[in-house]
Amino acid sequence: MRAQSNIFWILAVFFFVADAGYTVWSLLSTEFQKVEWTGTLGIGLAGIMSVFLGYYMNRSHFAQSGELPEDRLDANIDDGDPEIGFFNPFSWWPIFLAAGCTIVFLSLAVGIWLIFFGVALTAIALVGWVYENYRGVYKH
Amino acid sequence: MFFAGLFAIYFTLRSTSPELWASQTEKLDVPFAAFNTITLVLSSVTCQFGVFAAERLQGKRTGKLFQVSKWGLVEWFFLSYAMGAVFVSLQMYEYTNLISEHVTLQSSAYGSAFYLTTGFHAAHVTGGLLCFLFIIGRAYAVKNFGHREATSAIVISYYWHFVDVVWIGLFLVIYILK
Repeated sequence: MRAQSNIFWILAVFFFVADAGYTVWSLLSTEFQKVEWTGTLGIGLAGIMSVFLGYYMNRSHFAQSGELPEDRLDANIDDGDPEIGFFNPFSWWPIFLAAGCTIVFLSLAVGIWLIFFGVALTAIALVGWVYENYRGVYKH
Repeated sequence: MFFAGLFAIYFTLRSTSPELWASQTEKLDVPFAAFNTITLVLSSVTCQFGVFAAERLQGKRTGKLFQVSKWGLVEWFFLSYAMGAVFVSLQMYEYTNLISEHVTLQSSAYGSAFYLTTGFHAAHVTGGLLCFLFIIGRAYAVKNFGHREATSAIVISYYWHFVDVVWIGLFLVIYILK
């Protein structure tokens, strides 16, 4: 976690310096000569977001018990393999969902009547995907 | 990132046409929106209590209906769903009021910015409401509420809190800062 939190601290410092530079530059520029709020706010917010993440990583670093492989020089890549979780052997639902969304967007180009079919197929595919391990062959 | 873009649109249009903002923001009903904001924030709290129940692996209540301390995930998520639904409904009511005062998507840059930001947020809230129903359905579909159900409930709660935080930002920018 130490490496991750350091990355975000570095990013935060970079964004704040860039923000100050951007503001001063827009003030000094002969054409503009005032604060350009869109960029100043945008870069400043990016800095604040980096502080959030850096702080969170820092807290996680102190809360974790033991050292992560990322922070050890003698660790191997596969030491960092996490427990990925549970996956289906196969599933048709993503294809149905993609088809439903395709028809929804196609309806914007072809004719709005198509959207009723698209929304219906999308709803069926969503419910099918969410509940595919709750009924049928892979019920648990 | 998407909402950051919408905020950028709002601020850019606001800086290019300040007189439009001065005349149009008067039409907003701030106390009404404040009530709506409080409803959404409280729904995040009830959602979090649902997560605590999910972490105890408690799907349904163990006591009577009004023994709130015995509630499981299903009851807390139903309550969060109801509060989220109240939020969206009241927002649609607010839209109708604004349209009757000639603030529409086409009326001006202010109308476009207002409906784009709040409308996309309302669409996200509606998506979250559907997710609540899916999670409640999962809790009913299993005999024993397990880690898979709990994980999906926790993930949905992250989404709900995110939508809530975005609304706090939108509320501060649109209704307080104007």
